[in-house]
Amino acid sequence: MSDASDTKGSLLGLAEEFYEQFDRGEIPRMTIPTRTKSNIEYDEARRVWVYGDRTSTRSANSVRGARKLLRASYAIDFLVNQLDEDRSSTLRELYYLSESWDVEEAQFTDQDESNELIEDLEIVSGATREDFHMRPEESGATLIGPLEILEQTRRGEREIHCQADVGEGGYQIPSNPKSVEFIDHDADFVLCVETGGMRDRLVENGFDEDYNVIVVHLKGQPARATRRITKRLGEDLGLPVTVFTDGDPWSYRIFASVAYGSIKSAHLSEYLATPDAQFIGIRPQDIVEYDLPTDPLSDSDINALENELEDPRFQDEFWTEQIEQQLEIEQKAEQQALAARGLDFVTDTYLPVRLEEMDII
Amino acid sequence: MDAEMGVAQRLAEEQRAISIAEFFEKNKHMLGFDSGARALVTAVKEAVDNALDAAEEAEILPDIYVDIQDNGDYYTLIVEDNGPGITKEQVPKIFGKMLYGSRFHARRQARGQQGIGISAAVLYAQLTSGKPARITSKPKGFEEAQYFELIIDTDENEPDIKAEKAAEWDRPHGTRIELDMEANLRARTRLHDYIKQTAVVNPHARIELREPKLDESLKFERVTDQLPAKTKEIRPHPHGVELGTLIKMLEATDSYSLGGFMREEFARVGRKTADTVLDEFRDRHFGRELSWTPPGKHEDLDIAAALTAAVTNKGKEATATFVEYVMDAVADHDRVSHVDLERIINNAADRIEEETDRRFGSTVRSNAIAAAWSEVTGASTGDDRIPSELYRVIDNATSKRKSDRVKHGFATRLAEQIEAADRPKHRFTHKELLDLVDAAADATEEYDDATYGETARENVIEALWVNMRRVVDDPPKVRTVANDRDMAAAFLEAMRSTDVMAPPTDCLAPITAELVEEGLKKEFEAEYYGAVTRDASVHGGDPFVVEAGVAYGGELEVESQIDLQRFANRVPLVYQRGACAITDVVRSIDWRNYNLDQSGGSGMPSGPMVLIVHVASTNVPFTSESKDAVANIPAIEHEIELAVREVARGVKRHISQRRSLRQRREKEDVIARVLPEIATKVSSLLKRDRPDIEATLARIMNNVHVSRSTKEDGDTTAVSVVVHNYDSQNAAIEVTEIVDMEPVVSDGASVTEMDDEWYVRWTPTVGPGDTATLTYELPTGATTELAVSGVPAEKLTIDRS
Repeated sequence: MSDASDTKGSLLGLAEEFYEQFDRGEIPRMTIPTRTKSNIEYDEARRVWVYGDRTSTRSANSVRGARKLLRASYAIDFLVNQLDEDRSSTLRELYYLSESWDVEEAQFTDQDESNELIEDLEIVSGATREDFHMRPEESGATLIGPLEILEQTRRGEREIHCQADVGEGGYQIPSNPKSVEFIDHDADFVLCVETGGMRDRLVENGFDEDYNVIVVHLKGQPARATRRITKRLGEDLGLPVTVFTDGDPWSYRIFASVAYGSIKSAHLSEYLATPDAQFIGIRPQDIVEYDLPTDPLSDSDINALENELEDPRFQDEFWTEQIEQQLEIEQKAEQQALAARGLDFVTDTYLPVRLEEMDII
Repeated sequence: MDAEMGVAQRLAEEQRAISIAEFFEKNKHMLGFDSGARALVTAVKEAVDNALDAAEEAEILPDIYVDIQDNGDYYTLIVEDNGPGITKEQVPKIFGKMLYGSRFHARRQARGQQGIGISAAVLYAQLTSGKPARITSKPKGFEEAQYFELIIDTDENEPDIKAEKAAEWDRPHGTRIELDMEANLRARTRLHDYIKQTAVVNPHARIELREPKLDESLKFERVTDQLPAKTKEIRPHPHGVELGTLIKMLEATDSYSLGGFMREEFARVGRKTADTVLDEFRDRHFGRELSWTPPGKHEDLDIAAALTAAVTNKGKEATATFVEYVMDAVADHDRVSHVDLERIINNAADRIEEETDRRFGSTVRSNAIAAAWSEVTGASTGDDRIPSELYRVIDNATSKRKSDRVKHGFATRLAEQIEAADRPKHRFTHKELLDLVDAAADATEEYDDATYGETARENVIEALWVNMRRVVDDPPKVRTVANDRDMAAAFLEAMRSTDVMAPPTDCLAPITAELVEEGLKKEFEAEYYGAVTRDASVHGGDPFVVEAGVAYGGELEVESQIDLQRFANRVPLVYQRGACAITDVVRSIDWRNYNLDQSGGSGMPSGPMVLIVHVASTNVPFTSESKDAVANIPAIEHEIELAVREVARGVKRHISQRRSLRQRREKEDVIARVLPEIATKVSSLLKRDRPDIEATLARIMNNVHVSRSTKEDGDTTAVSVVVHNYDSQNAAIEVTEIVDMEPVVSDGASVTEMDDEWYVRWTPTVGPGDTATLTYELPTGATTELAVSGVPAEKLTIDRS
């Protein structure tokens, strides 16, 4: 998004702002959009959900605010050094590293706090944490399919065919997908899968080869890199993107973050979200139609579904209908419940039928 | 009160029959001597109370020494005071006869009230150890002390001095009593509580305690030289005595008549009140007289004729005039009773005697009265006048539903009852009237097959009673009433049913809020102290005052319950906490409203708090003779609650202030630490000088920011002090510059010189958000010191750069 000197400049700009505020006898503060569900809205032009107008101020006027600003100035110092030295670190490393800071008050009390601060800094500086050279702990997520890429690694360039050159485990998406360049592909569409078990089933059954599909493993709530790659597969290669998850409220949120962006990173929606992504299932409707083995909804499931009815990202006919139906049947099902119909059912019947319905194949 | 004096009365009666020793044995639990542990506490308490009373009465600041020694077989209790001392003649009064206190009916606030205390301790000691009490006393002004050994003769209930000699004593004056007794120290905590609490409410006393388990004696020093206000003795209030006391007072008085007795012996009784009481007493003792309408023209009865016939040998003219006077007066009456006729006829006779030379002597008068009364009652003709008279009253007082027949029947039977009662003057008390009406109504129900219910009866009684006339007979004399229990009871009832002004309250000596607070400060290291003395109130015939005090926080420990200390007339109450009205009131308050912890909103609250409640009265109502718990009297409970709530409000304010100050201080601490770090960090990042953050700090703290700058210009230096108020309230501050060379001042500052130092002072009031700039000049090289006051330290930021 921006190069290292721009990023460094915007971080220093923030430090300068604090300095000026002191100089004017004002109370140092940092204003950022409020990162809650009630403050995200749909951006028609970009077709993603972004933060609304409400802002929160981290001000040194309170004990909490003062500590936050102190930690921010220490984090800025750290990031500027990191950029100067062209190093990178993980979010977890930042958390532990803060223990070595000379002022105890500047140290983070838990990792949520350091993660949140990095998000704050992303928003205020207009950069991403990848620009700060901050990585998540595990890259983890993989993809497999007829796709050829060029990856800039610290050990030089690598050209990789994501089907031919990789094992059954697939190609590991790097934490900063900027280093990945698409060279060529033979894919017809992209299929994002929530669980490892289902991904492995599709690969074992040769689904990626049979249907020319790039299978992206989401590994639960997808990391930013996974979402970024997915977006680029859709946008740069012009491929339809589909999402295949369990049939429960938490999985719907996984779809929503792929398609519309997550609440915590709505400032990056434009960069991470794939607005054209389509949901395959498991739909509550599938549970009924295929008579899948189910588990009853727990109280927290019901609560989550009800929250989703209020969530701006689910405000359309499809989701309202599906969620209401699920609340009615009070059941949920996993992707692997399809195995009740045989191990090949998912690749021979369920997916082809659904994909056809969705005009993908 | 009733319980207490009731006991005293019973004790007084019992002691005639049985020996005092036997009596004591029977009642020792009520007197607080039921166990060796408790006996020791009670004996200390009685001796110390006595010592305090004696010293205060002589206006001496009390200095009391209590020593308890374990002698193996028994304990020895020594209590020494610096009081006025006692002479041999006074010994019986103080130690001797139980229950023969000098002023058992006098009303004043004193620790001891019935004269039971110390003599009971002496008796307990004597009964358990067999040893006499040893008393050394040196009255003020005497060279030598006197030493007595004394026992109480349990047959005679008289003190018996066994030995007596002159003795050396280094105290200038005072009394020392030594008692050997069966005892133990199991109630040691209570003993200490008693002594410590006594010290709290008697800040004018110095008290020292030594006991076997203490390595060093416990000393409670005096904190004030101010003696408690001397209590005025007041006479009892008519509403505050009960029968036993009243009889004793009647026996003891020099007055001859009841009216004189009341005015002499009681508070708030003047002639008018006494007369009202006597009237009430007449009603109860003599009763009232039924009145009847004078016979009318249509009746065969003729008062005038009867009078004319009754008056003999007075001459026709005088007789006629007399009858005329009587008849005129009778005509003014709707109804006449015997007493009315007596008055009318006596008046008429007096008038005739004045106007003519005729004497209308008592014979003539009583003949005339009897004759007239015969006409009124119809007795002269055998006419049944009374039933029809009663019928009219009954008819008016009875509901319309009763038939005439029933009413007539009732009237007739009531007339029969009146006749049968054989009261020539138709004189009945209310009670007697009630019996008559009941008997008549019962008979009516029985024979006339009608019901005559409670309400109907009461209505008739009321209708008759209001028409009955109060008699003018002289009430019995004091001596007669004193010897007749029923008469005395009627007299007491008469006093109680008469409105009497509330008793005076100057007989009370509260500790005063100020000294309660002093006492608390002396004994407890706390953060907050508060106390209140309520205005005097009255319960029954006794005035009382409630005081409360609190100590909160500081070194006080958080116990599961607050430390509630109860006091009555400056005496700590250490037993029977659960039975006490003070405890009840404290437990009934929802202390959570006052920022204290209390599970469930009732019961004893918890927290680092000492709560003192003092009830002072001429007669504190205790639940029992051992005086451990205040009885549940609503008027007193109400005052206790108001006092406790008032001090509780102070505690609440303190707690919430402390909370917000603490939060503020915490905030200040953190921010004062964090902000400079931010400034340091960002300036090092930007490679600039560290910015000045004082103004930012002041703004965050809503503080008053004072910054001082100087500008040197050759020999003179201009000083500018800028005060900016970031708070939302006005800041009235005082800024002082202390300089060691003479300054040049222009802008309204005042300058004071003292020992070659100049104090330049401004007192600006700076509004919220406003700035005041204070300037002056001084010679270059002068040393200065800036001081700012008027703003709490927490809210002040001084920038001396």
